[in-house]
Amino acid sequence: MKDIALTEDQRDCLQELINVAMGRASDKLARYLQTFVHLQVPYIELIDSQALPERFAENYAEEGVSLVSQGFYGERGILGESLLIYKSHDAHGIAEILGYEPDDISEVEQLTDISSILTTTFLNGLAEQIDNQLAYSAPRIVSSVDTPLEQHLEQLSFNWDLALKVDISYQVTDYSFNCDMVLLIPGEAIVNIQAVLDQILDEF
Amino acid sequence: MSIPVLICDDSALARKQVKKSLPAEWDVEVQFATNGKEALDILRNQQIGVTFLDLTMPEIDGVAVLEANHAEKLVDFIIVVSADIQPEMQKRVIELGALAFIQKPVNTTKLKEILQQYGLL
Amino acid sequence: MQLSDIHSLILQRINSGVLIVDADINLVYFNRFMESHSQLKSEDVIGQSLFDTFPDAPEKWLKRKIQSVLMLNSPAFSSWEQRQYVFRMRHARPVTTSSEFMAQDITFIPVCNQQSNEVEQVCIVIDDVTDVFFYQEKLKDTLAKLEQVSRMDGLTQVANRRFWEERFKIEFASAVRHQNPLSLIMFDMDKFKQVNDIYGHQGGDLVLVEATRLVQSMLRKEDLLGRYGGEEFGLILPNTGGKGALELAERIRKAFQVHPMKFKEHVIHATMSVGVCELDNNFKKYEDLVTRADLALYQSKRDGRNRTTLYRK
Repeated sequence: MKDIALTEDQRDCLQELINVAMGRASDKLARYLQTFVHLQVPYIELIDSQALPERFAENYAEEGVSLVSQGFYGERGILGESLLIYKSHDAHGIAEILGYEPDDISEVEQLTDISSILTTTFLNGLAEQIDNQLAYSAPRIVSSVDTPLEQHLEQLSFNWDLALKVDISYQVTDYSFNCDMVLLIPGEAIVNIQAVLDQILDEF
Repeated sequence: MSIPVLICDDSALARKQVKKSLPAEWDVEVQFATNGKEALDILRNQQIGVTFLDLTMPEIDGVAVLEANHAEKLVDFIIVVSADIQPEMQKRVIELGALAFIQKPVNTTKLKEILQQYGLL
Repeated sequence: MQLSDIHSLILQRINSGVLIVDADINLVYFNRFMESHSQLKSEDVIGQSLFDTFPDAPEKWLKRKIQSVLMLNSPAFSSWEQRQYVFRMRHARPVTTSSEFMAQDITFIPVCNQQSNEVEQVCIVIDDVTDVFFYQEKLKDTLAKLEQVSRMDGLTQVANRRFWEERFKIEFASAVRHQNPLSLIMFDMDKFKQVNDIYGHQGGDLVLVEATRLVQSMLRKEDLLGRYGGEEFGLILPNTGGKGALELAERIRKAFQVHPMKFKEHVIHATMSVGVCELDNNFKKYEDLVTRADLALYQSKRDGRNRTTLYRK
């Protein structure tokens, strides 16, 4: 196991970067969706990826879930995979928020679309602050209602060392949906992120 | 005489960022608060010239501080420094008596303009 | 060669469609891949609306998609799995598929003004994934066949025991719940060992194949014939009481005894013994029907074979 612990300062710095990224993402989304997006302080947590299946099994024990994955990569060795996890009942009606006619778009496409929008606007907001530019792979549904979430997470945790769990709760006027965002990051990229955080901390 | 300035944010980095963005020529004495409760304690018991206030904080958030300040008529100059930059939120804090709204991370030039506009600098 | 020349050369030669639209969704760039696959000329489409150029494209959806890229300054995607194609073009893959049109994975990339950092254009990259589509189709076919095979008895092509029992369980539960009648016919070839001894296993196999084919032809769609063991078969009859099952059993038995089977220079005559049982309120599981139909079948054997017995308490 690699040493993946963040110092208190690094953690605070990352939390602040994420807050600002969330703010920018929400502002863009609000303009795009033409509604007010209620913003909550996102709660972040760094966990060993092996612990992921257990953590999410608790959260999503009783319900069907949908899991959308999207890879990202940028400069200075920053890369990873973003996972968005929705409870099934939250996955309905997204077409309406997105401004599509329900007939124009399948349920799978609704999920990949909203996931891609949330992931890319949020990560772009993060990248801007650290003078980085990210590119993304196409979003893919890796699990839907009938497949056990744990199985997928076990597979994923095999490939990744560390998970940055960001609880995002998006609420828009007249409609609310919640989803969890998990950023899976390999050990070597964590080291690169720590270097970036230290650089910012040095400036202040 | 130095102007007493309060910077309220739950993030240490954000507090430092705000402090560092204050114009060098501005003669101030800076105090920090790490949440809304601490901020209200200071505002109620001390003479504070200018307050820089974050909005999204755990427990007592910036909006609640603005509401209390408005009700208790504590101080005149509160500048909101926030990550939540949606127009509706900006409108709301101005209605609650905030002097201005600055998006995070703080841009010194923008801050200077605001301070000059209100004769604080 | 200058870098910008190399870039434009690559854009022209790359094996993907590249087109760029401005904020009003008018075309400003159209690469050679697009020209050859859409059979449109760059000079004819530049300046034209994307939707006039591709009138079959889903306009509302595409507008919203492009709008998201312009407003959010973030990429958007479309996958062939959800939309086989957005821009109708012929594919040029060396594979035969059920689709004559190119399956497409599409990426919409924001193009920013270098000074203002505002998104001014959207670059649309179209990857031809007809191959993937083709192999996915093949895989689906194969999986369907595999599923079929895993349910069937190799020799007789009727349900194998595992699948038959699975279905029986479901039919049993449904009949009990809805208080519907349900019957079971079990039949077994008479003196099958003798058939094998005289004609060899091939002869025996032929008898089984012929018997199942004959029975199959006398069934309704909802009935399910399965090979229960060596020369024993089970026939599930939903919505059928004992009387109806007995009548069918007798028709089958009589038809089979006058059904000659040609084997090489021989003609084989064979018979079957049959047991019938109908669902009773006391039965707890489908096996209760099997046990009793089997008892009735043995009664037929004991009574001299080539006959049908209805189980009675």
